[in-house]
Amino acid sequence: MMYDDDALDRALFALPLEEPPADLRASILTATVYRPAPPFSVVEISVIGTLAAVVLWLVGVIVMGGGTLFVHTAAAIGGAAERSLTNNATLAWLAAGSAAALWLTFFTGSQPFALASQRFGRRPSR
Amino acid sequence: MSALLQEAPTIGTVPALTRVGPEDGELVALAIRGNPDAFATLVERYDRAVYHLAYRTLHDVEEARDVAQEAFFKAYRSLRTFKPGAKFSTWIFAITYHACCDRLNRRKRYSSEEMPERADTGPGPEQQAIALDEAQRLRAAIDALPEKYRAVITLYHLQGRQYEEIAQVLDLPMGTVKTHLFRAKEQLRRLLSGAEVTDS
Repeated sequence: MMYDDDALDRALFALPLEEPPADLRASILTATVYRPAPPFSVVEISVIGTLAAVVLWLVGVIVMGGGTLFVHTAAAIGGAAERSLTNNATLAWLAAGSAAALWLTFFTGSQPFALASQRFGRRPSR
Repeated sequence: MSALLQEAPTIGTVPALTRVGPEDGELVALAIRGNPDAFATLVERYDRAVYHLAYRTLHDVEEARDVAQEAFFKAYRSLRTFKPGAKFSTWIFAITYHACCDRLNRRKRYSSEEMPERADTGPGPEQQAIALDEAQRLRAAIDALPEKYRAVITLYHLQGRQYEEIAQVLDLPMGTVKTHLFRAKEQLRRLLSGAEVTDS
């Protein structure tokens, strides 16, 4: 068959497109708009990264021996905590607080630990 | 999926690029604002054409599929860089064509270094062009064209007589596109009439 310009154009425009694989569209959508959310959000990764960097820096400071101020501050905080925990009044208040929490848990049906674990176990879907 | 997904009218057997429903630009804007169905509609409109372009350029089902997926993924990630006045079809075809060129370059490098003997005992595209029915003959004839002409003809098939858009996709001057198209058609006519073809 001989083709003039118009006949060739008609034949070209009538040519069916290649049939794509059956799951192409689904795979594209899964890779783009319906992609599962990553386990950590950008904010969470930033916070964890920052904390890790600070910890690394502190460890580095201590290991390198240049953290005299840090060591003194940590010792002061430790000393204050120790003094507080050996003070009878503080221990009495802590005991009273714990007893109140236990009483509320056992006698009012409140399940604070169960609720907390449920809250942290559930991730918001995006 | 949603009301956005409506069947498009077709011209002959080639899906028309003018559609019922929101314009492509509106869908891009909606997708940027976080509407997943808007991008899904764009995928539905262009996945076949994108796959066709990739397959015609690469001649490999798996590679064409990978390129189609890669093109939409790149487009999705850079939706914010899409210029509001531009055509989505031109943009996605350009991304696809560049991905195909990358693969062709890699393939050429690989085949010249590590695969010098490539056994291909089947009939060549020119022989196939003589043997098959009209649509298959036309496909085989397009496959027999040199790569630069094949790309122009494939985009002419997809985008019609929109030379400026073909030029944008291929990153070529419009005059070159017209020349390539003229020569491609000439070679196609010769191939389809069974004459010998010499690349010019």
